[in-house]
Amino acid sequence: MAVFLKAILNGALKGLKTALMLLRIMVPIYLAVVVLKHTEVFPFLADRMAPVMAVFGLPGDAVVPMVAGVFSDEYAIVAAMGGFAFDKAALTTIAMICLCFHSIPVEAVITRQIGMPAWRMTLFRFGLAVLTGLLASVLGGLAL
Amino acid sequence: MNAPWDAIALEMGQGALAMAFNLLKVIIPLMVGIELILTYGVVEKIAPKLGWFCRLIGVSRDAIVPLLVGLLLGVTYGAGALAEINRRTPLSKNDLTLLGVFLFSCHGIIETTYLFWMAGASALFVSVLRLAIAVAATAVAARFMANRRF
Repeated sequence: MAVFLKAILNGALKGLKTALMLLRIMVPIYLAVVVLKHTEVFPFLADRMAPVMAVFGLPGDAVVPMVAGVFSDEYAIVAAMGGFAFDKAALTTIAMICLCFHSIPVEAVITRQIGMPAWRMTLFRFGLAVLTGLLASVLGGLAL
Repeated sequence: MNAPWDAIALEMGQGALAMAFNLLKVIIPLMVGIELILTYGVVEKIAPKLGWFCRLIGVSRDAIVPLLVGLLLGVTYGAGALAEINRRTPLSKNDLTLLGVFLFSCHGIIETTYLFWMAGASALFVSVLRLAIAVAATAVAARFMANRRF
């Protein structure tokens, strides 16, 4: 019982620490997305990328969380998604694509350290992200 | 600018607070769960029962513990454990590549499912569909590598 309680307490403390650490990254990203959303930068980007996003049944704005995710992590994706009003199907498709292809610089370094070919793994992730996105958009259109 | 500054400031304040609250709701239960999994050695207990799964995705039994750690806990929390396991029992190049294919397709399934579900995505898609894609991709890669060494 003591072990169980200690695990719960340790976990809760670690959770609090991790959350505070993540918020230091997420809040600035979210705030920047909200500000940029109201300028001409994102509408311009969204317009340019709209044909690509349309392949996955997504609005042009979906490019914003994707770009955030490529350079940062899952938490940046969620922070950037929070700036827009996507529906459930769009959120799911974005999640599926981003979960496959995110944190590219950091994870490429980790890949190399473990001893795997970083370029090949990154290409593989990109290809799988595209396939996953197509699958999610088709299934999401049917089920969500 | 197509909205007044005070409206933007209000959106920023409300959104940031909501995000902070949601994140605490995700991370604290998640870290408690991970701590319990580690404390009670859940991964080591499940691993021996997964011989059929190893054969399906073409890895040896050595790869199953790091695979479960990465799959359940994620690379962020599991990275230390992964490095430690690989140091104690180094994996073959074949296992390492397939482990990479699997974990890059799907890792930290508990954390990401919960996080993206809270953000409004479908939990079923983010967990089950993603896992299925990872299993399929790894199984295909294993067959491919068995036929053509690279």
